[in-house]
Amino acid sequence: MKLCFKLVALATAGAAAGLWMISAPQPAISADALASVPGDLQRGAEVFHIGGCASCHMPPDYEEPNTDTIPPLSGGKRFRTPFGTFVAPNITPDKATGIGTWSTSEFATALLKGVSPRGEHYYPAFPYTSYNRMTLQDVADLKAFIDTQPAVSRPNDRHELDFPFSLRRGLGLWKYLYSQPERVIDFGDADSELRRGQYLVEGPGHCGECHSPRNVFGATDYSRWLGGGANPQGDGSIPNISPHRSGLGDWSEADIAEYLSSGFTPDYDVVGSEMADVVENTARLAASDRKAIAAYLKAIPAVEASKTD
Amino acid sequence: MIKLKGIAATLVTVSALGSSGAFAQDVEKIIEARQSLMHLYAFNLGTVGEMAKGNTEYDAQLAATAAQNLLALAQMNSDRLWPQGSSKVDPGLEDTTRALPEIWTTMPKLSEKHTDLTTALETFATVAGKDLASLRGGMKAVGDGCKGCHQDFRAKKEDS
Repeated sequence: MKLCFKLVALATAGAAAGLWMISAPQPAISADALASVPGDLQRGAEVFHIGGCASCHMPPDYEEPNTDTIPPLSGGKRFRTPFGTFVAPNITPDKATGIGTWSTSEFATALLKGVSPRGEHYYPAFPYTSYNRMTLQDVADLKAFIDTQPAVSRPNDRHELDFPFSLRRGLGLWKYLYSQPERVIDFGDADSELRRGQYLVEGPGHCGECHSPRNVFGATDYSRWLGGGANPQGDGSIPNISPHRSGLGDWSEADIAEYLSSGFTPDYDVVGSEMADVVENTARLAASDRKAIAAYLKAIPAVEASKTD
Repeated sequence: MIKLKGIAATLVTVSALGSSGAFAQDVEKIIEARQSLMHLYAFNLGTVGEMAKGNTEYDAQLAATAAQNLLALAQMNSDRLWPQGSSKVDPGLEDTTRALPEIWTTMPKLSEKHTDLTTALETFATVAGKDLASLRGGMKAVGDGCKGCHQDFRAKKEDS
């Protein structure tokens, strides 16, 4: 009896220790891994636009001047979700309140592993669940670009999260269960345009973060990839962009590319809501990248729009 | 009991509408008119947009005419299409319009955005008839002009 109790206690302790270990933030991307990939400013600007960094990190109520200016990246936008409210942080090169002291390897660890320089997990409101498919080269280029942006002093606000989501360590288990840095769609042999589209959509473009449904734990449902879903901010739903007739079935590749450039739909309505900010970014990509995104969106499996209510 | 409640609710709705019935009808006509204006924009945008996409062959004359029409639509005085009380939160209009009350609460922001659209279309009218590359190059600014209002002043589409 005593032995039995000891065994149970041991097993419980073992399981707890296991969970504790699993939930530990993953080791950083080493500086060595980055030594061979010096950042390129021009390419970094492209990564910045496809990554949509400005859309979340610009100040709240920032007015797009419809020019090629980059908004200040001082953060402060609030995102209400079922788990609580997240506040976008300052990612300007300000040393005290931004990310000015970060090394490239710390920056890469944040984007690819979702771990901060202090060794803490980030919440996946920061879409490292997609950014983890980015190449080290793109990450290094992006860092080079962000380094050139003006520093703004603005201390970060704390996220306002409900218990138990306020416990960051628990995110380690979440990552263990749901992190999927592999390609989402297996095309077998695909041409270079399709591969490029796949990389942009599944990786830095992080389209699936909004356009795919999520489970009750807030993890992407990859079986219904890009099939649309509830708006994480609670306002209506996000459209299905798979080639299903409830999605982009009626859109041609040219329709999609035009939408990502001028914002016009095939009916010549115009993009609105949060997507307007996204089109602001995609309009600055190379035309070949918009074409690649369109090719990918027409090549993925058609899934029916998810029921959101 | 449930039925009674239903009738009571209907009565409340009817009496609420009763007082402003005539106005509500006018407002619906006004909303119809401004939506028709949007259809006219879309029709002319279709002419240049399909050329930009390569779905129809570039025709300088057609493109220039469509661009001129777009500018004319923007220059038309449409003040009377936007009376107070014609947003989607006004009684009975929820399913009729997606116009947000911010149109009126943040005035003159809407007028400023409309001026931006007019400016963009003035430029577009000068380039659309030049050649296909100029037309393509001008589409983004026109889209930005439309977006100026549609991003902030129109509610998201409800899902069916």
